[in-house]
Amino acid sequence: MFAFPTTVAAPSPDPVTPRRPPRAPRELPAGLADRVRPTTPVAGRTLPVPAPLAPLFPSGSLRRGTTTIVSGRPGHGATTLALALLGAASAAGSWSAAVGLPDPGVVAAAGLGLDLRRVVFVPHPGTGWAEAAGDLLSGVDAVLVRPPGRARLTAARHLTARARDRQAALVVLLEGAGSWPEVGDLAIAVGAVEWEGVGRGHGYLRGRRAEVRVSGRRAAGRATECSLWLPGNSGAVAPAGSLSDGAA
Amino acid sequence: MERLIVIWCPGLLEEGPRGEEARRFARVLARAGELCPWAHPIRLGVVALPARGPARFFGGEEAVVARLAAVIGAFDEVDNLDDLADVEHAGEEAGIGIADGLFAAMLAARSQLIVPPGGTADFLAPWSVATLARPDLAVTLQRLGVTTLGQFAALPAANVSDRFGADAAACHAVARGESGELAGLCDRAIARRLRVARGEDPDRPPDALPPPSQPGFFGGASEADARAARSIVRVQERLGIEAVLIGRLRGGRDPAGQSVLVPWGSPDPDATPSPSGPASGAPWPGRLPPPAPTEVLQVPRRAELVDTEGNAMVVSGRGLLAAPIDRLSVDGGPWEEVAAWAGPWPVTERWWSVRRRRARLQVVTTDGVARLLCSERGRWWVEALYD
Repeated sequence: MFAFPTTVAAPSPDPVTPRRPPRAPRELPAGLADRVRPTTPVAGRTLPVPAPLAPLFPSGSLRRGTTTIVSGRPGHGATTLALALLGAASAAGSWSAAVGLPDPGVVAAAGLGLDLRRVVFVPHPGTGWAEAAGDLLSGVDAVLVRPPGRARLTAARHLTARARDRQAALVVLLEGAGSWPEVGDLAIAVGAVEWEGVGRGHGYLRGRRAEVRVSGRRAAGRATECSLWLPGNSGAVAPAGSLSDGAA
Repeated sequence: MERLIVIWCPGLLEEGPRGEEARRFARVLARAGELCPWAHPIRLGVVALPARGPARFFGGEEAVVARLAAVIGAFDEVDNLDDLADVEHAGEEAGIGIADGLFAAMLAARSQLIVPPGGTADFLAPWSVATLARPDLAVTLQRLGVTTLGQFAALPAANVSDRFGADAAACHAVARGESGELAGLCDRAIARRLRVARGEDPDRPPDALPPPSQPGFFGGASEADARAARSIVRVQERLGIEAVLIGRLRGGRDPAGQSVLVPWGSPDPDATPSPSGPASGAPWPGRLPPPAPTEVLQVPRRAELVDTEGNAMVVSGRGLLAAPIDRLSVDGGPWEEVAAWAGPWPVTERWWSVRRRRARLQVVTTDGVARLLCSERGRWWVEALYD
């Protein structure tokens, strides 16, 4: 059953050829009609990411249906980066969920761009973390999941397939005990980090500079490296010169 | 007690000889579900949904009833000519009612009434004790001359409990309007029966099918809100209401006080939605500057901070450390070298009371990990981490 969206589609930038409403699909066999999802023509194929993170993605944005793996040593900013990936989409109206982040910092999440009205946290899913992530992939646009330990291959594949099927973005956060058995469409690894602003008993934590490395199937075979503030002084991520540049 | 809307379908309360009822009930449920994502089958022929959300959205309880009646009105349509024998059920309209608690709401639906909040006991009073669906209790009560729920409610609670047992005591509370639900009202197998009726695999959890486009309940936005809500509710059903949380910002000095995590679906005391920026409203004096930590521990971890001599760090009355910090250990773990720190920042509001003296430190260890520590009564705790 095809559903026409109630919101009016944005006008085409070309005034001469107005956008046409989507065509209804052909008749489907009776049993199948009930199980086919309506398409979501207004959603588009990608989700926006904050501008400093756009260079990490081949298309400059987070492609729906893909699995992005963010990894780093505990306490080095991988959580900041993973949350930041959701920030622009959330601010633009998407729903998102974070599964398996114990003690999430709500103020930090808001600082990274997330709209708290449309973010749900499942901090302690226990052994049901994969089911919870799967359920949420069916309803929201982006799910951040932090496996508490080694993710089984069947669970990982199920989640990746669910994300693809529902056209949601799956972000897997690995730091510490968690591991994921597959490569993912994109892998972002946080390397060396350095905090700025704090001395021997003076100043305050102003920002963390991090070296970030991107690889994976969708990186078109090449690895990209860049430096980012994870986060910067405002609480959001920002581009940075390389660490060897000295203070920005 | 939750205020509930119940849809009561008299012709669908039992499976007939042709087994049509489950399929038709599935259609009723689907139509009710188009209006509200929480429409829930109680048993064959009975649907319940919460009243508060839909009433707010549609502008009142009467309006919800009207919408529901319109949407499910034609549930008794027959599928094809072979079902004409079922046409005797056609014309039996579904009853819709609203009351506090499921038991009363079901009776309200049978009478097609909206029972005002707090009027439950009065509404229940004239009904027969047979409605409790406990034949033995009903017979016993009737022998004692108690035939209505009102007469039953008038009996002293302690006597009912002593004489008739715990289940009767629960019935008694319901009759008094003090409790909303009763064991035996719900048919646990209904979900499975409906899946069979729809031709789905009964043992596999159903996928969420988004409804046709229609406004959702939350901010009057789009089907995206309704779709998200359904998936969230499923997780809450599986893991508990407290398992899925939403964050709200509020004024406060420390990271724990600047925000709160509440179960999704909790009422928001502030009518305005929380802003997305970290500094909501006027700046709060004494608040740590951004960036905020990404991990705010609900249960702070014990920490030890020592100087090069191994002496514990103490914050003096003037808010100073006696010596530079050398090492940190968390929860009795290995010692880590401290590379840099900032503070201490006293929490000024309680500084005059030695017992309640608190101070904050940001500490960075040589591995690059930054933590927020707090001292209270001479002990150090890790409050948050910047991950």
